[in-house]
Amino acid sequence: MSLDEKQLAAHLSVIGNVPKTANLRTALGMKIRAWWPYYLMLLPGLVYFIVFHYYPIYQAKLAFEDFRIFGDNLWVGTKHFETLFDSRAFFQVLANTLIISAMKMAFVFPVPILLALLINEVRASGLRRFIQSAIYLPHFLSWVVIAGIFIAALSPSSGVVNEIRGWAGLSPRGFMTESGSIRWVVVFSEMWRSAGWDSLLYFAAIMAIDPQLYDAAEMDGANRWQKIINVTLPGITPTIATLFILNVGLFMNAGFDQVFNLANDAVRDQIDIIDTYVYRIGLQSGQFSLATAAGLFKGVIGMVLIVAAHTISKRLTGKGVW
Amino acid sequence: MLARNLLSSVAAIAVAAGLGGAALAQDVPTVTIIAHENPGDAELAERIEASMAEAGTPVDIELIGIPSSGYPDALSLRLLSGEIPDIMYFQGADAEFANQGILEDLRPWIEQSTYLKDALWAHNVARLENYPYLLYVFPARTKSAVVRSDWLEESGLAAPTNLDEWTEFLRAMSESDFDGNGAQDTYGILAPDNTAELDAIFNPSFGVTATWLEQDGEWIHARVSDAERAKLEYYQMLYAEGILDPEYVTSNWEVKEDKFYTGRVAVVMGTAGPVIDIYRTKMQEINEGSDLTLLAPPDGLEAVNVAKEDRGFAIHAMSDNKEAAFAVLDFLASPEGQFIDRLGVEGEHYTMNGDTVEVLPAMGTWYPRFWTVNPDYWSPPVDLLSDVGQGSLAQGAEYFVPDNAFVWPAELASDVDAAEQYYRSSVFRFVSGEWSMDQWDQYVEGWNAAGGNAMTEYARTVLP
Repeated sequence: MSLDEKQLAAHLSVIGNVPKTANLRTALGMKIRAWWPYYLMLLPGLVYFIVFHYYPIYQAKLAFEDFRIFGDNLWVGTKHFETLFDSRAFFQVLANTLIISAMKMAFVFPVPILLALLINEVRASGLRRFIQSAIYLPHFLSWVVIAGIFIAALSPSSGVVNEIRGWAGLSPRGFMTESGSIRWVVVFSEMWRSAGWDSLLYFAAIMAIDPQLYDAAEMDGANRWQKIINVTLPGITPTIATLFILNVGLFMNAGFDQVFNLANDAVRDQIDIIDTYVYRIGLQSGQFSLATAAGLFKGVIGMVLIVAAHTISKRLTGKGVW
Repeated sequence: MLARNLLSSVAAIAVAAGLGGAALAQDVPTVTIIAHENPGDAELAERIEASMAEAGTPVDIELIGIPSSGYPDALSLRLLSGEIPDIMYFQGADAEFANQGILEDLRPWIEQSTYLKDALWAHNVARLENYPYLLYVFPARTKSAVVRSDWLEESGLAAPTNLDEWTEFLRAMSESDFDGNGAQDTYGILAPDNTAELDAIFNPSFGVTATWLEQDGEWIHARVSDAERAKLEYYQMLYAEGILDPEYVTSNWEVKEDKFYTGRVAVVMGTAGPVIDIYRTKMQEINEGSDLTLLAPPDGLEAVNVAKEDRGFAIHAMSDNKEAAFAVLDFLASPEGQFIDRLGVEGEHYTMNGDTVEVLPAMGTWYPRFWTVNPDYWSPPVDLLSDVGQGSLAQGAEYFVPDNAFVWPAELASDVDAAEQYYRSSVFRFVSGEWSMDQWDQYVEGWNAAGGNAMTEYARTVLP
């Protein structure tokens, strides 16, 4: 089968052999003509991102304006940012966001990797499938339900956790109301909900490792632990690096739904994050511009973090997200 | 030929009917109302429309219902999209819309009204003077405390009348086993989420008589006053002795009601009037033959905020149908409107025996969607509330004291929010004993730094 001129040009452009002097628009047009079914499939995703992710960036100019429901907004420059940075509350929610995100990164991020490694070592396929199903299940529960489960389980008077503490002779503790424990409740509930589901990606990466590497390791006398350390882990390192960078990009998203449902008056100052602050100031108090300023600040920090993580990763491992 | 003639006739009739319908629709203004979604909304709208048409002011009412859960947020988002109905029911976040001139000043309309001007309560008049954009013709939303009557009887105690008696009464309840489950697992009292409902009945006992108190010749917020400190010390004692449910802060209103009906707490507070009646109805559904007894607060009730309505109806200032919108609100204050709104659905909530209205048991679950007017102006032909519900309204009227709180300017929104969050967290730490009362001065410093200083500075420019 021979390629006509257009197909050949498109093929060359895809494999990177289009001369640098070629008109970029022509090259793109040729690509689209040659691979149009794929571009058509891309279209809904592209529209989604433009409408829901890029258009709102333009609307973030509200942070520099006083909001008007009718008529044009009034340009006020950095007034709302000054109000934010003068507020002790904002620095408190910023600190909470950073602390909770750092705790999640340190304690939640590694768990799916460990889970995937452990599940991979389960030899009985029936048992493995059961474990996988069981650990995926919490992912499908909403935070409203999960908050209810945790409040009931951690209740000082009737919760199962305090009952177990009682058997060990320990006095009951109000985990949901103690400032020293609530952040751990946030971290643990996040782990409980997402670790199983997140392990799926790592498990898929493990499945993609060439079995010959294990055979070779076995011939060299490696035991199971050595195979995990020297074959499995290096095999999933690119996946770990990519997901780590993506997680860094979401660092400032400490979990609105989760915090909103787990918070109570006793501990709100410990887990109030930028997202809940934006919700309270914006929607509940009607200060839309101030809330947008807080949201924009969060977005910019997130952007800086992801670029920094990508750059560092690129230098250290040669791999980044783009 | 016959078929063609028939088709022509049908077409002519259809066109004529269409034009006639259009002309009719033009004569009858459509009033859009956004409010809580309730079963039977469409039927209620139809009855209002029919009565208004009969009274010579026909309107077409279009009710837009929003589910109660998350109502204020959903309403804000809807209004922000620029889709603003003629009448809006707010439960907060209205000030920003008022600041932008979207809400109509209701005072001139009320002055010229047929019914509303006479139907207002004293607190409505005061609130309209301070903030004329929102109206909620309803008794002051005071809270009243209730206990199961059979438990009160079994305790052998008289209903408490002062703070010492209240303490002893609540202690006796918490040491009892009136629910008969063989365990002392009933708490004396529960306020959901925070101490606000406790404050409703205990504030005056400690001298927290208003939001702003004069101390050493200067206005200070009650939350950093000596009176507040004494009150929190009392709550700390209730908590330490197991009288106050220690899980109050993680209990929302649904949990509160559940604990009350299932005998895990003896005393709860509810909004005077229909809410107290709903508690009674649900209690009777779960515990057949039981009833509720209204408890008198130890030293009166918390002062009532008259700075503005904290909920209520507003009219879109730029609506083309302002007259029709106000006509609906005015009609709902008329005897006919009140009859429709407060008695519910005939056959379900009441029946007519000749000219006599007979209330059915389901009345306990009905609540007026719009107004409950001042009883000096109009009262229903039959008592719609039980004695305990009626008593709670009388209690609210008896102990009514206007508060001196005012509306905060938008510039202070983040300070007010920060101080509120700090106060709420600190209260739990004091009440739970995590903080000792010796740390009071540190708390005051923290509250001032969190936003209290800016609030106090502003308050001193506003208060006389």
